Amino acid sequence: MPELRRDPVIGRWVIISTERGRRPDQFRTTLAAEERLDRSEKCPFCEGNESMTPPEIFALRKPGSHRNGPGWEVRVIPSISPLLQIEGNIDRHGHGMYDLMNARGAHEIVVDTPRHQHEYELSKDQLVKSTGIVVDRIADLEKDTGIKYALVFRNYGEAAGGGHIMHARTQIIGTPVNLKRVKEELAGSKRYYDYKDRCIYCDIIKQELSGGKRVMAESRHFIAIAPFASRFPFETWILPKEHSCDFYRIDKARIPDFVELSQKVFLKIKNAIGDFPYNFVLHAAPFRRDVHKKGFWETIQHDYHWHFELLPILTRVAGFEWGTAFYINPVSPEDACKAVGELAQ
Amino acid sequence: MNELRRDPVTGRWNIVFLDKVADVSDFKAEPHPKNAKDCPFCYGREGDTPLEIVAHRRHGAPNTPGWTVRVVPNKYPALMIEGELVKEGDGVFDLMSGVGAHEVIVDTPDHMRDMADLSYPEMEEVVWAYLGRSIDLRRDKRFKYILVFKNYGKSAGATLEHPHSQLIALPIVPKVVQEEIDGAKRYYDYKDRCVFCDMLRQENLDKERIIYDGRYFTAFCPYVSRFSYEIWILPKKHQSDFANLERDCISCLARALRDCLARIKGLLGDPSYNFIIHSSPINGHEREDYHWHIEIMPKLAKIAGFEWGSGFYINPVPPEIAAKNLLSVNIPEK
Repeated sequence: MPELRRDPVIGRWVIISTERGRRPDQFRTTLAAEERLDRSEKCPFCEGNESMTPPEIFALRKPGSHRNGPGWEVRVIPSISPLLQIEGNIDRHGHGMYDLMNARGAHEIVVDTPRHQHEYELSKDQLVKSTGIVVDRIADLEKDTGIKYALVFRNYGEAAGGGHIMHARTQIIGTPVNLKRVKEELAGSKRYYDYKDRCIYCDIIKQELSGGKRVMAESRHFIAIAPFASRFPFETWILPKEHSCDFYRIDKARIPDFVELSQKVFLKIKNAIGDFPYNFVLHAAPFRRDVHKKGFWETIQHDYHWHFELLPILTRVAGFEWGTAFYINPVSPEDACKAVGELAQ
Repeated sequence: MNELRRDPVTGRWNIVFLDKVADVSDFKAEPHPKNAKDCPFCYGREGDTPLEIVAHRRHGAPNTPGWTVRVVPNKYPALMIEGELVKEGDGVFDLMSGVGAHEVIVDTPDHMRDMADLSYPEMEEVVWAYLGRSIDLRRDKRFKYILVFKNYGKSAGATLEHPHSQLIALPIVPKVVQEEIDGAKRYYDYKDRCVFCDMLRQENLDKERIIYDGRYFTAFCPYVSRFSYEIWILPKKHQSDFANLERDCISCLARALRDCLARIKGLLGDPSYNFIIHSSPINGHEREDYHWHIEIMPKLAKIAGFEWGSGFYINPVPPEIAAKNLLSVNIPEK
């Protein structure tokens, strides 16, 4: 019998229907060959091609190197085709019954490496450096009062919207409004907190650690779980064990531990099902500048818990699933964990 | 500069491109190769599906050829029709048994055509089937919601090429539906008017997004389109539950739906798409704050992390331009 499972935070129901479909090992996948093309000559993210991008915002540079020239380790640039622009006013207004505003905000690309390498070729050391820069960039965006939320994500593979340039990078979008998805999580966490006086994510971590069947991997400070109400096969969340709502306030000494665990999770899934396209998205608390805000704003730091969500793009998501947020997942998270444990050997 | 537009029902913000608007030619339609061999939905292969639930037929016995629209249980159902609805908790988590109905509505016996190619009378038959099944399933007390939808083309999630629609009856109300209902209720509490009725008024005032204006239905590219060339079809008269649709209105709805799909196909070269009938949950009475409608979502751009992670969508074609382009297409008037 299929099972309907409810996401305890936002209340989204998911159908886990293993009878329908394929066993976990039947999700073996590989990126299309064209996505593998080496485009280093034309790649705007490669060292030596700095002139192909807008002027850099920041770069971790070797001594003696010059702005917008070679000699960097991690480079932050404005997006070549930004969805939101940093200049201008927000200008909120109405049109009859509708509301609109200018798309003011930030859209930055953090290039993880000067060489034409994709995500799996990055060393731990390189990722620790670039993750540190991502943290710094979020802290910097916090200073811009027009930006309410920093959306941080990585798209890998064309099916996941990653584009065809296989050069590892992270995107940061600073939005002038608080996103609906974020508000839903905050409202859900607050509801639980009001009732139980505990963080729901902390409770989830405790329960998963005692059960074990949905734990994908674990390190000293972090845990990777296949969430109970997974929307996608092999969906995985990485959470800090210690309660914290702001990723950008992470103790930098813990970044190596975080990177090591993330790399382990990606590799485990890759070994089990092949080179899979994915979205890797940070879920963290919005910026809080007005301490007097009511509602879910009051208790965010107690009830919300930052985490990364890894969403493998393996099934063709039927439009009705993202039109209704009603997902049918053919692989249960327990089976996914088991498969990753077994097939990865 | 691009624009952020807010959905008045759910409060979701979408990014609409005003600077770099995508051209029609930017959307490469994916080919839909058709091969009727071994298709379980074609004439003569009725034995390959579970026994039919209902079929409209001019002649012939059940589960034989001669039908025009045929409804069968999904062979690989996401939910099972038999069984009790069991709800339980597991620590912090909640779950229930996957009880529900999952039916397939075969739109036409003709493998080679899609819904966009149907004639008005053929389309009417499909709408009749949607309505008949919705009315029948709402009698089952275990179900809270009936979802009627169509996936066309691989990237829209369709696994079989023969034109078909689907119906899922659920023991819960899906989240987006609940949000829509909550949002509409908030608006109603504040204004004492239905937000969708207001939307119709606004669209009629602006005119530039309307693509079909019939006796009982209006179709338009919504101001807050999440997807390029998204189209909504709304009944002009307020009505919350699709299952209460009056017989007189069926031909107008069939026409609106067929015309919208034909325009999309004519303009964009047969793209994959989904449409969903958004209706109020099953509870037996009409409500003043919700308005049933159909949302058509062509599948033209890949969804990236931005949408998944944020719940906010990027639309490279402003709906005003989408409507203008769609209206420029010549479609058959039959």
